[in-house]
Amino acid sequence: MTWDRRTEDRAAAIVGRYPEKRSAVMPLLYLAMAEDGYLSEDGMRRVAQLTGLSNAQVQGVASFYTMYKRDGVGEYLVSVCTSISCMLLGGDDVLDAVAAETGVADGETGEDGLFSVEHGECIGACGGAPALQVNYELIEGVTPDHGRALCRWLAENRPAVVRGDDLQERFGGRRSFDWGPVEAGGATGAVPAFGPLGTAGEGS
Amino acid sequence: MAEQPTLVTITVDGKPAQVPAGTLLIEAVKAAGVHIPHFCYHPRMKPVGMCRMCLIEVEGPRGMLLTTSCTTPVADGMAVHTESDTVKKAQEGVLEFLLLNHPLDCPVCDRGGECPLQDQTMACGPGESRMVEEKRHYPKPIPISDLVLLDRERCILCARCTRFSDEISGDPLIEFKGRGNAVEVNTFPDEPFASYFSGNTVQICPVGALTATPYRFRARPWDLEAVESTCPHCSVGCRISVQSSRNQVLRFMGVDNGPTNQGWLCDKGRFGFEYLGSPQRLAAPLIRNADGVLQEAAWSDALDLVAERLGALAAGGPDVVAGLGGARGTNEEAFAFGKFLRETLGTNNLDAQLGDGLDARLLAGITARGTIDDLERARTVLVWAPDLKEELPVLYLRVRRAATELGARLIVVHPRETGLDPVAAHTIRYRPGAGTELLRRLADGSGDLAEARRALGEGPVVAIVGRPGAGDDPRLAEAVLAFAAGLPGATLLPVTRRSNVYGAADMGLDPGLLPGRVAAPAGTGGRDAAGIIEGLIAGEVAGLVLLGADPVADYLEPARAAAALEAASFTVAIGLFLDESAAMADVVLPALGFAEVEGTVTNLEGRVQKVNRLLPGPAGARPTHEILEDIARRMGGSIGAASAEALAAEMAATAPAYAGITWEALSWGEGRRGIVAPGPAGSQPLVHAPEDHAPPPVGRNLVLHLARVLYDQGTLTQAGPSLAKLARPAAAHVHPEDATRFGIPAGATVRVTGSGGSVELPTVFDPSLVAGTVYLPLHCGASIGAGLEITMEAVS
Amino acid sequence: MTQILTTRMEAHPSDSHTLGRYEDTGGYAVLRTALAGMQPDAIVAEVKASNLRGRGGANFPCGVKWGFLAPSRPRYLVINGDESEPGTFKDRQLLERDPHQLIEGIILSAYALGVHHAFIYIRGEYPRPARRVQRAVEEAYGAGYLGRDILGSGFDLEVTVHLGAGAYICGEETALLNSLEGRRGEPRIKPPFPAVEGLYAKPTIVNNVETISNIPWIVGNGGAAYDAIGPEGSRGTRMFSLSGHVNQPGNYEVVMGMTWRDFIYGYGGGIRHGNALKAWIPGGASAPWFVEEHLDTPLTIDDVAKNRSMLGSGAVVVMDETTCMVKAALRVVRFFAHESCGQCTPCREGATWLQQVLTRIEAGAGRDIDLDLLLDISDNISPGLAWPPAMTTICPLGPSAVSPITSIATYFKDEVAAHVHGGGCPLG
Repeated sequence: MTWDRRTEDRAAAIVGRYPEKRSAVMPLLYLAMAEDGYLSEDGMRRVAQLTGLSNAQVQGVASFYTMYKRDGVGEYLVSVCTSISCMLLGGDDVLDAVAAETGVADGETGEDGLFSVEHGECIGACGGAPALQVNYELIEGVTPDHGRALCRWLAENRPAVVRGDDLQERFGGRRSFDWGPVEAGGATGAVPAFGPLGTAGEGS
Repeated sequence: MAEQPTLVTITVDGKPAQVPAGTLLIEAVKAAGVHIPHFCYHPRMKPVGMCRMCLIEVEGPRGMLLTTSCTTPVADGMAVHTESDTVKKAQEGVLEFLLLNHPLDCPVCDRGGECPLQDQTMACGPGESRMVEEKRHYPKPIPISDLVLLDRERCILCARCTRFSDEISGDPLIEFKGRGNAVEVNTFPDEPFASYFSGNTVQICPVGALTATPYRFRARPWDLEAVESTCPHCSVGCRISVQSSRNQVLRFMGVDNGPTNQGWLCDKGRFGFEYLGSPQRLAAPLIRNADGVLQEAAWSDALDLVAERLGALAAGGPDVVAGLGGARGTNEEAFAFGKFLRETLGTNNLDAQLGDGLDARLLAGITARGTIDDLERARTVLVWAPDLKEELPVLYLRVRRAATELGARLIVVHPRETGLDPVAAHTIRYRPGAGTELLRRLADGSGDLAEARRALGEGPVVAIVGRPGAGDDPRLAEAVLAFAAGLPGATLLPVTRRSNVYGAADMGLDPGLLPGRVAAPAGTGGRDAAGIIEGLIAGEVAGLVLLGADPVADYLEPARAAAALEAASFTVAIGLFLDESAAMADVVLPALGFAEVEGTVTNLEGRVQKVNRLLPGPAGARPTHEILEDIARRMGGSIGAASAEALAAEMAATAPAYAGITWEALSWGEGRRGIVAPGPAGSQPLVHAPEDHAPPPVGRNLVLHLARVLYDQGTLTQAGPSLAKLARPAAAHVHPEDATRFGIPAGATVRVTGSGGSVELPTVFDPSLVAGTVYLPLHCGASIGAGLEITMEAVS
Repeated sequence: MTQILTTRMEAHPSDSHTLGRYEDTGGYAVLRTALAGMQPDAIVAEVKASNLRGRGGANFPCGVKWGFLAPSRPRYLVINGDESEPGTFKDRQLLERDPHQLIEGIILSAYALGVHHAFIYIRGEYPRPARRVQRAVEEAYGAGYLGRDILGSGFDLEVTVHLGAGAYICGEETALLNSLEGRRGEPRIKPPFPAVEGLYAKPTIVNNVETISNIPWIVGNGGAAYDAIGPEGSRGTRMFSLSGHVNQPGNYEVVMGMTWRDFIYGYGGGIRHGNALKAWIPGGASAPWFVEEHLDTPLTIDDVAKNRSMLGSGAVVVMDETTCMVKAALRVVRFFAHESCGQCTPCREGATWLQQVLTRIEAGAGRDIDLDLLLDISDNISPGLAWPPAMTTICPLGPSAVSPITSIATYFKDEVAAHVHGGGCPLG
């Protein structure tokens, strides 16, 4: 199996950024996820070919990290932080609200494939707790009501690109610090939006 | 000779001890007589300190430091404590952690009774678990290959298996999966642990997480009888423990012989014993009756008949009969066979090989002969030989170790990709038939071979040389050896696969050799295998004695071998099975085989090792030397084979290179590692000079690359159920360019026609070949002879 | 009030992350001067003189670490931006708001250390900081600060931004190196230390984002100037991430030496709703907790250590009187059990067991023996429950899971007992 020309070119560029090609495994796994919407077995096989590893080795790496989703994942992955700082300020209630609104329990994906819901461990937004991420785009200062409204809005508007700045404006509250100017970048799936991976995020 | 290690002084539990410098504490204190419990540590793999069982205290500048003894190198003056309260508490804590999620199903576990975790728990484990929560659960054992089962509940995640697969065998098909408390060992979905070395992971698993399908539920360790021996499957000569119960071999375990296998076995060796207990084993002599049917007979009748017929033929003059075989048994059997042929039958037509190896005079007489252990010190390794992973798997492991762990530069020359290619610094491919030209260019270092040539200029060089494919002329290998002999610090290992072919050559089973690596006097006649077969067809040879040889299946031109047996006026086959050749014989005599007789064997280094007896064998089968002696006696002579040990003593007394290599010497102390027989004074020079072999150019015609694979359809492999199912189906491996040239679509069937016939096979595209080459696996059910030039056409 | 790291982002909130603003405010001037006239050893000497200590958690002196770098080449510099310690979000701000400050620090450090390829490892959950850094790296390449022959000096440096994928343990430097090599993020046995055998088994320096962000100031102003700020052993300024039940959570760049009372009630604006303070975590989730008796302890690395805890990553998590200590401890233990890499036995099995026992206590199914059991499990992970912790594990993650256990056992034994005897949390 190979990807289309454009993706293969990106893959080759990623491999080229490292002194040893094995180092490209992690970004290539993101690339594979962006291709298929989740990390498929075929995706892992291609990463193995590109890095000279066995499929089992690639699976070993992929399964170590929580962000490589080897089972199908919803269009919107809502990760609600429930680590200590967010817990202290009501993160558990936000998680309950999100689960109730979406009808998707913690750790599950809805049958319609729209939402996946998970409790996250600390996402580095403790000063703006409680916080959550949608496709790893951060929203801080979220109340249970905000969480419900956010999920409703996503379900109704189905944005193709999830922009953290936009969602923060609409549904967020206190921030850990001043974020500075609004960014255009955002995520197109349950993969962190980071330019070199070929996912959205090249915005200003 | 092992160098004497430097000693340093440390204090172990308050007592001073002299221990080897540069070792890990766990080994150092072992040298001082202190055993530290451990699970993940294995002396043949890099330490990882994962299980934490081997924690001890080391005195440091800031007080006592709890540290893993498997990861800490010893230093002079170190003071360690292995029994302090802190150490005990830590070790007991680790053991409790390991047992938290362990199912404690020892009564139904294959490992029960020889399980390090069980032993450690009995010695100092907690009486009962303090954990009231539910244990981790996984589906009970899942097959991860045809040979190995995985029980993740028993697994203690020591990573011995995954590290072996990654570091040692280089096929990491099993790996850790998941994280934290959810870590498990597993394969990739639908990609089984189909490693040639998978059985090693079962052996080194410190619990019953990995078990071998062939052994599962067959025995309890305390019921097993065991004897140390030497693996009979190839010429590496891995040291093994043969273990049986109720006269059935149940398993082979690797024994760590430093100079050879270092504890490892290939799966063919490990699981290939099943043929010994096969119901197909011959249990009574067979005589062809008046209707032409082989019929069971009494031993005395069969021996009478053989003596009468062979005697009559031999009386007709010298060299009227011939003998083939002797390369699969012991040296004692080969020695007896040579005496029987030469002295009793008066013939010098004898060959232990079937034209598929190297010249026996080379095997016995090679100068600058190396040992496998030379690889530990090699700077450059040249492998111009069969694919070692397929034919000499544990030698593959040793070469791989040299290339990956010891920094040797590896140069692999072969007609297609080999198992060693991923760790080679240079891989050089050529079309069979073009090897001489390639050798000339390599010697010159011309063009793209300059780098490889430069590497060959840096010694010590170890050259492992054989026939990459059956169609390669043995004289090419001799030319490569001649070239390699001139490289700096070169030692040479001429390799050929059949298990005791080196021993057979040393016992003189070749027209040009006498026992003990002695050249036959100039002018001695006699035919080799090809000569014997053509002689039989021509009627110049009339009688044939086969000893564990099956030319009809194994000769590279099987049709010629069949014609030879057809033409023979009398053939007697001595062996374990009614193989294709025995089925054509006039008399078939059942012999005892491996683990049923005692003796010695000689590996590809010339290392003589003991094989030992554990089983009686089939009731009707007899030791080969006794069979031969009985025939000789009936013919009025004797080969003096009162016993195998008597033969060994005679060898040690009369065969120069084997002087002093007695069973006694091989049974104790260093002798158990084997004794490398010294080359006789005035070793024979290489048999052929490079210029002896210059095959005509084949141009655009297709050439054949015919090479062995580990799991083929050989008789012994097929006689055991575990390996039989692993045999690779025959296929024609075709270069994609040739596929285009001949109009062969992917997956199509082709007709390939060679020197010995024609066959239809499915195709596999193989871009690793040089275009113009077709690769067929040997002994996979598709024989077309071994001639270089072939033709191929698509079959609709 | 001395500020080193956050001056620019406070003065120019709209564009502090851009190359233009960075250069306008004096950015890359130090680099120009250094490349034109300073020997690499001189930079190392300034860093040593500054007494800058690492800001990632272990607080190891940066100059000493640099001094361990083995001579062989190539060598690598790896920036640890895998900020994942619960309570910590300071590096996120530095990455997002002033990435060029970090990049200039990287170039100066690489020049000093003879490194020609540096990596910035940013946790996967930080796409926005990663985007900002990636763009800044591209700007720096465009302006000739990165790439070949930087500013005509003949010095070459490549920088690669690498995204993690959700594994706290990769903040441990050897786990980070394994991760960067495309392996499972399992910590390595030390020694060898990364400075001798690091990335690709080559000499490697791994430094935290905040640590390296200080380098331009130190090189520009001299190590002595940095060493003049703050108390001995805690020189310079330090970013603290303050969160939990305080009125004014956020990141604060402070000079160390004030009391905890001044920090929590001054910078933090006191406890929400005027509630009473119950406990706080002084240096990230790994740190043993402090309680009221520690309020007048000075906020320095050494004073915190003397009181059997650590400043760690500079994350301060404040808990008020309404907080259930069992639940809080469980939440921290759950984190470490989830983030245990699983390779070594005591951490893999022990952290989960601790979580299971605490879960039972919180649910009201605790037994009288459970606190002792928790402590004994902890003792088998961190023998003697000493400070700094001894460990039966490969890396300090296991002992980190022990900190909340010893904290509640020391200060809130009665609350634990109340859970056991009252069938659940007495706070309701």
